[in-house]
Order: sequence, then structure tokens, then C-alpha cells
Amino acid sequence: MAQEKQTVHSAAATSGAAVHEDTTAKWFLISAVVYFLIVGVVAIIIAAKFVWPEMLGTVAMLSYGRLRPLHVNGMLFGWLLAADMGLTYYLVPRLCGVKLWSEKLGVATALLWNVIILGAVVSLLMGWNQGWEYAELPLPLDVLVVVAWIMFGINVFATVATRKYQQMYVSLWYTMGCILWTAFVYLTGNFATLFTTGVNQANLNWMYVHNAVGLIFTPVGLALAYYFIPKAGNIPLYSHKLSMIGFWSLAFFYVWTGAHHMIHGPISQWLQTISIAFSLMLIMPVWSVVYNLFATMKGHWPRTRDNVPLKFLMSGVVFYLLTCFQGPMHSLRSVNAIVSKTDWIPGHAHMAVLGAFSFFAIAGTLYVIPRMFNVKLHSDALANWSYWLFMVGGIGFFVTLWLGGFWQGWQWNNPSIPFIDTVKALKPIWIVRFFSGIFMLGGIVAFLYNVIATVVDSAGAKPEVQGA
Amino acid sequence: MFKKSGDNAPLFAGLAVVFFMIGGLLTTVVPPMVDRSWGKPFENADASKGPVGKLEAYTELELAGRAIYVREGCWYCHTQQTRTLLADTKRSGWRGVDSPVSTPDEFVYDSPHLFGTKRTGPDLSRVGGKYDEQWHRTHFKNPRDLVPGSIMPPYPWIANDEKEFKAMVAYLQKLGRAKHWRPDNDYEK
Repeated sequence: MAQEKQTVHSAAATSGAAVHEDTTAKWFLISAVVYFLIVGVVAIIIAAKFVWPEMLGTVAMLSYGRLRPLHVNGMLFGWLLAADMGLTYYLVPRLCGVKLWSEKLGVATALLWNVIILGAVVSLLMGWNQGWEYAELPLPLDVLVVVAWIMFGINVFATVATRKYQQMYVSLWYTMGCILWTAFVYLTGNFATLFTTGVNQANLNWMYVHNAVGLIFTPVGLALAYYFIPKAGNIPLYSHKLSMIGFWSLAFFYVWTGAHHMIHGPISQWLQTISIAFSLMLIMPVWSVVYNLFATMKGHWPRTRDNVPLKFLMSGVVFYLLTCFQGPMHSLRSVNAIVSKTDWIPGHAHMAVLGAFSFFAIAGTLYVIPRMFNVKLHSDALANWSYWLFMVGGIGFFVTLWLGGFWQGWQWNNPSIPFIDTVKALKPIWIVRFFSGIFMLGGIVAFLYNVIATVVDSAGAKPEVQGA
Repeated sequence: MFKKSGDNAPLFAGLAVVFFMIGGLLTTVVPPMVDRSWGKPFENADASKGPVGKLEAYTELELAGRAIYVREGCWYCHTQQTRTLLADTKRSGWRGVDSPVSTPDEFVYDSPHLFGTKRTGPDLSRVGGKYDEQWHRTHFKNPRDLVPGSIMPPYPWIANDEKEFKAMVAYLQKLGRAKHWRPDNDYEK
């Protein structure tokens, strides 16, 4: 395996040769962290509405049904995907040993992305909602997303085409896979659905919903983990072969599982069974990736002690392992009968999107911002604070919702308990969730402040450099 | 082949798309061709085969109500599916009679589909005809006046807008009515 431990380092060692402008990466990352805060505030409001349902209740624009899609779309597309794209613009040129194909196109993509997000905020508050989960945005914005994605894809593939290193590191595979698969997944969820109705449409919708996580956020998130864990820890990757198994099994297995969102529901039983079988097989891509990353860290765990990006990354890997163990387990019919549609589900979803993929993106941001702006991170201590605030808030959120979800599911399965009593029973859970949210928001504030302060530090440092 | 694709970007991209497309096509395009009930509206006149009835298309008023249901995001908290679980058929039931489970042929006219993924409030797949207009008016103004402990938001802008309110109620009364399964159609007073 010795000769397999390579690429990120051979590529990284010489990447100093090309001078990277990183304008696009900066635009994407800074707007992403700002949206992270704004949407975090929305998150707190909707968490509060579970405890105080009258709060802001008589204003249509601020009602739960309008703010929830804003929270989901804002976090997924405004924060996470934008941050992932920003980090992709950073790491692709470095892994290819050349400059980004076109910074102009990149900056235009970043601007367009911001137009989309602002359009989304207005549409969702106005209630211009298409009625499909994750695909709420009205059609004109969907078209702009497609345009932005093509611009992003052209830039990445053109950079790869002009690369100096023939062998492509695993992060490049995941990035390219993400761009290709997302194109099909997005078109299915936002356009093919227009021509169908009922169960047929729901099947397409859930193919998209599931793969928005599985074939957009997972591959781009793993690209970051595969790049930043060896970089931040200064450790060679354990196995090239395992990376390959993980990638190709993800490419093949993931797309089959959409129907597991309708287990016990009005959709053909055989399709449910297929989705369950493939959900279980997802353990293969997940465990090969997680084993690879853990084995990379073997003997180097003490480095997480004072290396905040590495701490975020490895916690993210643990959350990834957990969330991807939950997924296959609650696709099983017996487990699904308890947890499906309960508060367990947001607990599970937040561990994936916040615990795993946002942790990777936060780590990447903390790693690249000082390097792009040629200055030290404003405060390592503050970064550590944001880590612990996210961690305490996250665990509080995930664990209470899992417990609450099981509790709720068992009560639902006993029809002698009136439904409203199952609502009242969850009140303590929602109170804990609200306060966990406050911790997470604290984490976001600390993270945002750190990023902005680092950028400001660099502006202050510049005249000195020029003067010297 | 996989090893070689690590050096060859076009080969890699082609393989990645092919791998994805196998499952992609088999799980999206093929199922509705195999299971025709996904696209055929429910109709049954033979009581020995289960509940009788016929799925009618939505009226204009019901569609207007449905659009409000979509706009306000009601579907984030209310599912519309009586699943193949005993408890679901009891909870969707009415006055001691269990509800039939939801079947694909009951949703042929639904776009967007509103099956939902989260049940913060009760399932609405069989709510039609259970509560009368006055109940809904009071409930939309403030759900806690009728259901203490409820966490549903108040919707005064629907309850106070006669046009929107009528449309909304028309839609709700339609839900789950294609199958005749109840002993009587009395509203809850």
C-alpha cells in the first residue's frame, strides 16, 4: 500500500508553482458564511414556534409554513452548497496544479448564486412555493440554478482538462461525480416532476430529495474530507484502493433508494423492498470511506487536540458514520413503522447536514480563509469555541430528537392515545431543541466573526507588506 | 478499468454517469410502466373488492384551496397518507370504523403531491367530512380554542378572507372521500 499513499501530497507539494487568485472561492465562502448566520436566526425562530406557537403567528410572512422552507433552502443552498462550491474552486486548481480555468466565469457564477439566494428569500416569504420538498423554489429560479451549475461545471471540468498531474486525486473524482450526478438529480426533482402527478411525481421528488443529500452533499462533502484531512493533519491518505471502492459503490448504489421515503405508504411494495435492499448496501460506500479516513488518522489522533479544522473534520466523519448507519436502519420496515414521520427524522437530517457536511465545510473554510488572505486565522481560541458550541448544541439537538422521535412513534402506534396527547408529550423535547439551537447559533456567530475578522486583519496587514 | 479512469477524465465521467443511470432509470422511469395503478384514477363498484367509490378531479374551488394549502406549507406538518400500519387505519378512522389504507390510484390528480414526510400535526388523508365549516373557521382563527395543547399556528388571514376560507374548506372536505367507507357522513359538532 505504500505507493498508494500519494497524490494529495505529490500534488500539494508542487502546487505552489501556480499562483492562485481565489477570487471566486472568496466570494462564495464569504457570502455563504453570512447566509449561515441569517438562516441560523430563522432556524431559531422556527424552533421557538414549536414551544410558543403564537409567536409572530399572525404575520403571514413569518408563519412556520413560510419560514421552514426558507430555513431548509437557505441552509442547503445559501450556506452549505455555496461553501462547498467555494471550497471546490479552491481545491480543484491546487489538485490539478494549474490556475482556475476562468476566474471571471467563477465570479459571475458567485454573483448569479447570490441572485438566486436573494430570489429564494423573497419567493419563499411570499409563499411562492412549488410544494415539493427541497424543490420549493419557483421555476425561473430553478432555471437560474441550472445555468449556475453549468457555469460551475464548465469551470471545474476545464480546469481538470488542463491539469498538470495526470493522476486525479480522489477529491477530484467526487467533485466531478457530484457535478454530473447533480445535473440529472436536479433536473429530475425540479423539471421531470412538472410532467407527472401523484405517486409517480412523489417517486421522482424523493429520488431528488434523497440524492440531493446522497449525490450532491455527500460527494462534495467527501471531496472536502479527503482533501482537508490529509492536508490539515499533514498525514498521507491510507488507501487509494479503498477510496476507489467507496467512490464506485456510491455511484452505483445511492440512486436506488429514493422510495424508502414512502415505506408503508401508497407506493408499490416491490419498489419499497428494492429501496430497502439498496439502503442497506449503502453501508459499503460509507464504511469504506470512514475506514479509510480513520486509518489515515491512526497514530495521529493527538493532532486533533489543538488543530481545530482537523477536530471539525474528524467529528464530521464520526457523524457521517452515525447518520449513515441510521439511514439504512430506519429504512427497515419494522424500524420505519416507529420512526418515520416523527421528530427522529429532523434529528437524523440535522446530523447529516450540520454534523457531517457542515462540519467539513466549516473545517475547510477555517483552513482556506487564512491561506487565501495570506494572514493567520484571527483566533484559534474562538475557532475552538465555535467547535464546542456546535458540538454541544448539535448533540443536544440530535439526541433529544431521537429520543423524542421514538417516544412519539411508540405513542402513535398505540391508537388509544389521542393524537394531541402525543403532541403535548413532545413539549420538553422541543424546549431542549430550542436551547440546543441557541448553542448552535452561538457557534455560527463565533465562526462568522472569526472569518470576517481574519479578512479584516488581512486588509490591515496589506499596507505593511506593500511598504516593506 | 476503474484504475485507468483515475488518469482519464472523459473515461471517468462516462463511467460515473453510466453507473448512476442504471439505478436512476430503473427506479424512476420503469416503475410507473410496471405498476399501472400509479396513473389510473380509483374506481370500484364491487363491494367484495373493498370500498366502492370513484376519484373525481378537483373542482376549481378545491384547486384554489389546494393552492393555499401549498402556499402556507401545511404539508410540512400534515401528511396525507394512511399507511399500511394498523395504527394509521385507526387514527384515520371515524367513529369506530377503520379507514382503508391510501392507494396510489387515489392521488392521480395531485400535483404537487402532498404526501409529506413529517407528521407534526395529524394526518389529513381522510379528514374530509369530519369537521364542519364552523369548526374549521374557529380552528383557523386559533387552533388552541378547539384543541388545547395544539401547536398549530393561527391563520387569521385565511379565516378572515371569505374567499380563501371557502376554498380552503372545500379542499379539506374533499380529502380522502374517493373511497366510501364511513358509516355516515356526520360532521363533528
